[in-house]
Amino acid sequence: MDTVISVENLGIRFNRNRKRKFSIREMVLQNKNTTPKGSFWALRNVSFNVKKGEAVGLVGANGQGKSTLLRIIAGVLIPDEGKVEVNGGVAPVIELTGGLKSDLTARDNIWLVAGLHGLNRKQVAEKFDEIVEFSGIGDFLDTPVRHFSSGMRVRLGFSIVTSLDEPILLVDEALAVGDAEFKIKCYNRMEKLLKEGKTLFLVSHKEEDLNKFCTRGLYLKKGQLVIDGTLKEALDAHLKEQGALDD
Amino acid sequence: MKHLQALRLLVFRDLQIRYAGTWLGYLWSLLDPLFMSLIYWLVFTVILGARGVGEQPYLLFLLAGILPWVWLASSLNDSSRALITENRLVRSIALPRALWVIKSITAKAMEFIFALPILIGLTIIFGKSVTWELLWFPVAFILQYLLLVGIGLLLAPLTVLARDMKNIIRLVVRLGFYLTPIIYSVSDVPAQGQFLSYLNPMTGIVTLYRAGFWPQGTEILYPLLSAVLWALGLFALGLFFFKKIEATVLKEV
Repeated sequence: MDTVISVENLGIRFNRNRKRKFSIREMVLQNKNTTPKGSFWALRNVSFNVKKGEAVGLVGANGQGKSTLLRIIAGVLIPDEGKVEVNGGVAPVIELTGGLKSDLTARDNIWLVAGLHGLNRKQVAEKFDEIVEFSGIGDFLDTPVRHFSSGMRVRLGFSIVTSLDEPILLVDEALAVGDAEFKIKCYNRMEKLLKEGKTLFLVSHKEEDLNKFCTRGLYLKKGQLVIDGTLKEALDAHLKEQGALDD
Repeated sequence: MKHLQALRLLVFRDLQIRYAGTWLGYLWSLLDPLFMSLIYWLVFTVILGARGVGEQPYLLFLLAGILPWVWLASSLNDSSRALITENRLVRSIALPRALWVIKSITAKAMEFIFALPILIGLTIIFGKSVTWELLWFPVAFILQYLLLVGIGLLLAPLTVLARDMKNIIRLVVRLGFYLTPIIYSVSDVPAQGQFLSYLNPMTGIVTLYRAGFWPQGTEILYPLLSAVLWALGLFALGLFFFKKIEATVLKEV
């Protein structure tokens, strides 16, 4: 059994007062101690393993640590406690449009983003047509991305990242965007990637999406991993909690 | 090093955006230091008649100091904000975070190199002869690169955490211009002040750049020592500090 993601006793702490920036004047004049007082654990004592080819859905209400966990696995956040080991490359379907540079054309952006994710020239050249085709940007290939609609940007971003051919796919609510036609294309691509034996880690509020792709479910509540079982178990726990709130 | 590819791509992208496909974009990076040099030449030699300051030809002397200074000033400006301007990429791609700083400085280093033709042009126009000490020029370049990466690695995280870093940087860069031997040379500084002058990280480096035009001989020892110590020291400090504060900064990016 090859474990591709191994999370052990993970913990990460954030500042509660989300006034993110503090000025030097404040630090000097008010002698303000910014760290321990107002901090909270966004995730704590979280441990689990994901095996190759598994499709895991991450369930929980807003602000329970789902995206934070995803970003730690993606390697763009560093935990304060514990260990995360990821064997193999990661295709992060996170902040999809963020990597695109609006002054550059779609063509330049494909080369740039694919290259930053580690594809060499030859690999980009091979996948280039497929990326263009899938994104459906057509005639706008040589148009600066700043003229794109937000939907077009997401499509371009999604096409690039899901073409990376990395063994692990991390998806953060990205499926909720795009028009109906593109949504179907996304679903098909995700299914294809799963069939190829990729590992999927999906964060979503949409039961429909979770049911479609995931078999295993993790339920996060207040930064704790409450349920690690089948997707149904995780969803039931989540819905029960939601229901309790509604009453 | 597969990260070299990412570095190359990012530097290329920065230059591509900077020059936006037009030649005027490139011309500006020549005209900017040239006009700055011309204005100081006008003020100091024509208006104030300070013939004793610096070396002759004064315009060439100015340019040889202003070019590295422009590189420093633009690097500090860009690299200190690197994690903020690129925050979307920092948040979505797991590249080594130091790369965002290094690419800003490398892009500015390329602009420095692209501007060298005016230095060469002026040397030819003035008929200024150069000596073997021109070999210090590439040494100065490497030392300045290390120095800037070190400073960038210190400033970029601090700028994320404290908004007013950019005001401090602007002030220090402006004052630093006059405290560094750019419009004058170290030998113009009163004897007691010369040692203090080498406490400025750029003094040694600027002197090294100029050595090929105005030979230093064995006098090069102090500038060389100062430049090497500052460059290696701040480079090491920057790497160490960045590693320490990286996790905290990522939460705020």
